[in-house]
Amino acid sequence: MNVNVVLVGHVDHGKSTLIGRLLYDSESLMGERVEEIQKLAEEYKRKFEFAYFLDSFEDELKEERTIDTVSLMFKSKKNYYTITDVPGHKEFIKNMLTGASHADVAVLVVSAEEGVQEQTRRHMFLLKMLGIRQVFVVVNKMDAVGYKSEQFETVKSQIGMLLNSFGFKTEVFIPISAMDGDNVYRKCEVMDWYKGPTLIETLDGVKLSSDEKPLRFVVQDIYSVDSERIIAGRVESGRLQKGAEVIFEPSGTKGEIERIIVFDADLEEAEAGDSIGVVITAGDVKRGDVFGLLKRPPKPVNEFLGEAVLLDKSMRKGETLELRCGTAKVACKIKEIKEKINSETGQVIGERPEEIYEHDAATIVFATEPVVVEKFADIPELGRFVLVKADKNIGAGVVLN
Amino acid sequence: MGLKELENKSIYIIREAYAEFDNPAILWSMGKDSTTALWLCRKAFFGDIPFPVIHIDTGYKFKQMYEFRDRIASEWGFDLVIAKNEDAIKAGVGPKSGKLECCTKLKTEALMQYIDKRGFDALFLAIRRDEHGIRAKERVFSPRDEAFRWNYRDQPLEMWDQYQTQTQTQTQTQSQSEETVQNHTRVHPILHWRELDVWEYIKREKIIPVNSMYFASNGKRYRSLGCEPCTSPIDSNANTIDAIVKELRTTKVAERSGRAQDKEKAFMMQKLRALGYM
Repeated sequence: MNVNVVLVGHVDHGKSTLIGRLLYDSESLMGERVEEIQKLAEEYKRKFEFAYFLDSFEDELKEERTIDTVSLMFKSKKNYYTITDVPGHKEFIKNMLTGASHADVAVLVVSAEEGVQEQTRRHMFLLKMLGIRQVFVVVNKMDAVGYKSEQFETVKSQIGMLLNSFGFKTEVFIPISAMDGDNVYRKCEVMDWYKGPTLIETLDGVKLSSDEKPLRFVVQDIYSVDSERIIAGRVESGRLQKGAEVIFEPSGTKGEIERIIVFDADLEEAEAGDSIGVVITAGDVKRGDVFGLLKRPPKPVNEFLGEAVLLDKSMRKGETLELRCGTAKVACKIKEIKEKINSETGQVIGERPEEIYEHDAATIVFATEPVVVEKFADIPELGRFVLVKADKNIGAGVVLN
Repeated sequence: MGLKELENKSIYIIREAYAEFDNPAILWSMGKDSTTALWLCRKAFFGDIPFPVIHIDTGYKFKQMYEFRDRIASEWGFDLVIAKNEDAIKAGVGPKSGKLECCTKLKTEALMQYIDKRGFDALFLAIRRDEHGIRAKERVFSPRDEAFRWNYRDQPLEMWDQYQTQTQTQTQTQSQSEETVQNHTRVHPILHWRELDVWEYIKREKIIPVNSMYFASNGKRYRSLGCEPCTSPIDSNANTIDAIVKELRTTKVAERSGRAQDKEKAFMMQKLRALGYM
């Protein structure tokens, strides 16, 4: 099984070190890379650190902090993991979101010395918005607090309260030392008071849900191949069978799927994730259209309620931006900002404000050109969007209603 | 990810870039990665590659690479563009000028000249995250400014499969004296593949051509192909695709261990890439 894991948490709580440790203990590192890092550490007159495997920018090493997200792969006895490190600084939230958006599960890293900090909270808020429901907590740097169970319990109850406030149902809290590898890959004898699983045992036990969702296909492009019109795109959710009766929205075109094709082959059916081509009888179709089965069709909307986080200086009520969802790209007006939300605490900090600022979140009524979006809770693939202003991706959100 | 998922994602990326940009092209070094990317383009467009294929020719490639290039170009029938920095070659730039200078002039600047000439606004590059620490930090769609620079300190928000499709004008830090070309976006369709995935995919597809230099003879094979003076083979007896797959499952030797330009000093690759190196 493939599992995408993101490590989140406050700066200096040890995310990069923990990933370096996982790679090292799973024997995924090339010998030469270890030597290279040892050489670098000498050059910079520092002690060898696992974080150096991930922080590959010169600036990152000099500043001793992660600037940009990075994904690395390793294999346990059971699963293939893509593990993503994200920066713990507020100024790099954009990079944190980039890294976290592909995750199936998250590991929250909290220092046993410092407990819950600003980015611990903000990352929890953002994970909740991104719909990542499985969060495992590791209380790191247990070596620095003398492996004391009392300190672990204190931090655990602090995090437990935080997670509850964001609606996470987390039961796994693991005391670790990423630096020494305690309870990461191997059990720690010093902390014999801890009877639970190690981090790798926890990750190997992950189950990913695969609910059957209604069929949605996004149109990327129309190609003409040997004078046949091929509608190229991807099945985002559900299954597609040859012969299915479908409707394209917002174009409104109905048709029967005559062929499902990939290069040099015809298929009988396709499933979520498949990049394919389809051929239908006739009718106008364009990039940005979404098709579904006639009996459970996608519905284009002109207005919806979303929750978004802003990564640009400001956004005003009445402003027009571009909204992207699937392959659709439409003009969208900020019709109303309902609630302004502090992205650190998740608290509502303003009703119907005129404007929101960088790192604010908000519930917003968007008025758009006709576009197919779905409730994030129903079909997440078409329930998430990015906002574009002056050619720049400046915000991201999910569809509530 | 399994091979099917890897392929699906790559095809999605290739089609997105083709739909969003006016004048894309793909870089082809004749190695396993970019040849796989070419094949994925053929799959994405059901046969023919609808944009030019650029080979950056330093003049220092291996003889087998030139033969391979000409054979595949004629078999697959695409529009091959050979990009050469003629002035630098005439001026005698070569490996003896220093690796940073040589790579920058003969690769980066050669490419700049052709972007200028042909007005490409997007370039497909077959780099992978697991090749090098610095490549691991790349976005799938990565903008480059007019001076060809990669602003790695401020990369775009790239969530889900929503890419930054506009190349922005970033002139604020640019001095007058710098040479400028049209800004462009680098598109990385196989960024999420590992070296082993590429070989397993080549094995599965059966028809992706492979340069014979990858197969061992007399106990040596090339694992990564580059210019003749700066590329050395590794010790290996893997002389079939199956044997290479088997070797990669257990090796502890880094893929680019035979590529001299990465190693001259710390952060060489970052310096090369910030200047627009591939």
